[in-house]
Amino acid sequence: MNKSRLVIDSNKNNLLPNFKELIRYKDLFYTLAWRDFKIRYAQTLVGLLWAFIQPIATLTILYVVFGRFAKVETGNVPHLVFTVCGTSVWAYFSYVMTNSGNSIISAQDMVKKIYFPRLIIPLSKAVVGLIDLSVNLIILIILLFWYGIVPSANIIYFPLFIFMGVLAALGVGIWLSALTIRFRDFQQIVPFMVQLGLYITPVAYPAKFALQNLPDSVASIYFLNPMAGIVQGVRWSLLGGDAPGNMATISFVMVVLLFVSSLFYFSSAEKKMADIL
Amino acid sequence: MGSVIKVEHISKQYVLGVTNSGSLRETIQSFFKKKETEKDIFHALTDVSFDVNEGDIVGIIGKNGAGKSTLLKILSQITQPTSGKIEIEGRVASLLEVGTGFHPELTGRENVFLNGTILGMSRVEVKRKFDEIVAFSGVEKFIDTPVKRYSSGMYVRLAFAVAAHLEPEILIIDEVLSVGDAEFQKKCLGKMKDVANEGRTVLFVSHNMNAVQSLCDKCIYLERGSVEIYGQTSTVIEKYLSNVMNVGNSTLLNAQKNRDKIEIKSIDVFVPGKLKSDPIWLKDEVHVLINFQIKIEMSFNVSLKLKSGLGDEVLNVWTKHEPIELGEYQAKLIIPGNFLNNLDYTFDLYLVGTDSTLLLEKHEVASFTVNEEVREGFYHKKIAGLVRPKLDFSIIHKS
Repeated sequence: MNKSRLVIDSNKNNLLPNFKELIRYKDLFYTLAWRDFKIRYAQTLVGLLWAFIQPIATLTILYVVFGRFAKVETGNVPHLVFTVCGTSVWAYFSYVMTNSGNSIISAQDMVKKIYFPRLIIPLSKAVVGLIDLSVNLIILIILLFWYGIVPSANIIYFPLFIFMGVLAALGVGIWLSALTIRFRDFQQIVPFMVQLGLYITPVAYPAKFALQNLPDSVASIYFLNPMAGIVQGVRWSLLGGDAPGNMATISFVMVVLLFVSSLFYFSSAEKKMADIL
Repeated sequence: MGSVIKVEHISKQYVLGVTNSGSLRETIQSFFKKKETEKDIFHALTDVSFDVNEGDIVGIIGKNGAGKSTLLKILSQITQPTSGKIEIEGRVASLLEVGTGFHPELTGRENVFLNGTILGMSRVEVKRKFDEIVAFSGVEKFIDTPVKRYSSGMYVRLAFAVAAHLEPEILIIDEVLSVGDAEFQKKCLGKMKDVANEGRTVLFVSHNMNAVQSLCDKCIYLERGSVEIYGQTSTVIEKYLSNVMNVGNSTLLNAQKNRDKIEIKSIDVFVPGKLKSDPIWLKDEVHVLINFQIKIEMSFNVSLKLKSGLGDEVLNVWTKHEPIELGEYQAKLIIPGNFLNNLDYTFDLYLVGTDSTLLLEKHEVASFTVNEEVREGFYHKKIAGLVRPKLDFSIIHKS
């Protein structure tokens, strides 16, 4: 009989997550994601409608403040369409960031009582965040039709930038989920990071503002924010205009670095999670 | 049949105090400070080795804090050993609690899927066994109701039903039988026996010697993080009981103060008409017998302090202070049934001479555990308190 074999060795350290095992636990992954989805709007009055109310409210405020009061120059593109390109990926990123941080702590009853690859927990949050992303994309498509805008030919790159956004969210989410167990300080830091992130990401203003008004050295720091390049890229792929330049490359390198390093850090932290919680 | 679980020199240490958790500030500080001394290390397990053969049902017994749960957590991969190696062949499922991951907002049906996949079943597998699980739990009518509306009994039944339908090659169980009402417990024990008969390997932690005796072929007795003895269940249980029930015998007789004046021969805790291996139930009358010999004529009394296993003092009783002639004596204490709670208890023994001089002071000379058999009504959680006397308490219609 072909049996699975398990070796627990205190001397062996896993550098990276065991991907084979992750695939074996795919059903648990689906179930957890589905559970989060299910209870997200449980016992609310309007249910799934919240998924629309929140982004529409954010969009409206950003439009009023940046489009009407500050009159941010967005060229031929209506400000609303311009902004929704930014909020779509940003909303996803901030959801995953906010919810991954606490994810393992809130699942501690499970973590202390049963084994499964812990990585599944932050991963499932990233899947639930796709609701926010899709809702935003629906709003985006409606607005494109409303204003009669035909996307640019760059649209073939659109999936690539969305994929980068998911990867960035995962990287940050996995880092935070492991860090928060060790340092509960991050429960305080994350909301602040999300708030700050909206300002240092070109969501409601064009990225060229940062490039033109900041000295190169500071601009390169600005683009250390992975979302800076991604938001610029999403906008370019749909509406054309300024293509992501050299500076944006910094963002893309950051995405890859964050994601890969998060896997390493998570694996090293995983073993001790049940003891620290 | 070969061994399917090989445990080699497993040790587990926990660092006590704040060193491991803590905040950013502490970590930054510890960069600048020298490494802390090793004073706060707790050795939960020390050099544990054993093999389990395919198809064996192995019980793990030991007092609270002996390392049983730590061992199970290591075997279930929840926590890593500090040193040592374990090899396991076959699909493992561990059940350290029933209803892991149950979410109150979800319905019974949804929770069956959730819990099933958490325990390692695939969705297809859960779907296939779904009807069987629901029938076993007996909550068919409420399967589409959120479990937060369940009584705790229903909740536990559904949770156990999912667990009972796992089909791993190796099953690791921690005291999950102590839930639910008597009828359901019987059902669970039956299910466990079925599992055993199907030739699967089972590791089973329990305080209930009856369950261990009837289910397990072999038994591991853990004492302070080490394997005290591993062998045939009856031998191991006997050894365990003689250690637990009569802690006094060996240690007391070896190092006894004032032995030239008075010698404690034995201390016994038992329920009249029952075997020592039988569990003590809430309703049982517990007898404590202390046999001793007086070598010098003197005046003294015997005092017993009853404490809970966690060290809370429950009560103190003593005999009359009086002069006693030479000879063999027996002090006898009767604790009535329906008085103690279902807890671990221990005794401290004092012999007090004239002017309150302590002739002898021995802590934890005997320990015993009171078990709960059947509980009526809907409340299934732990009843609070160090004692649980049956008092007259009722509602009377006044008009």
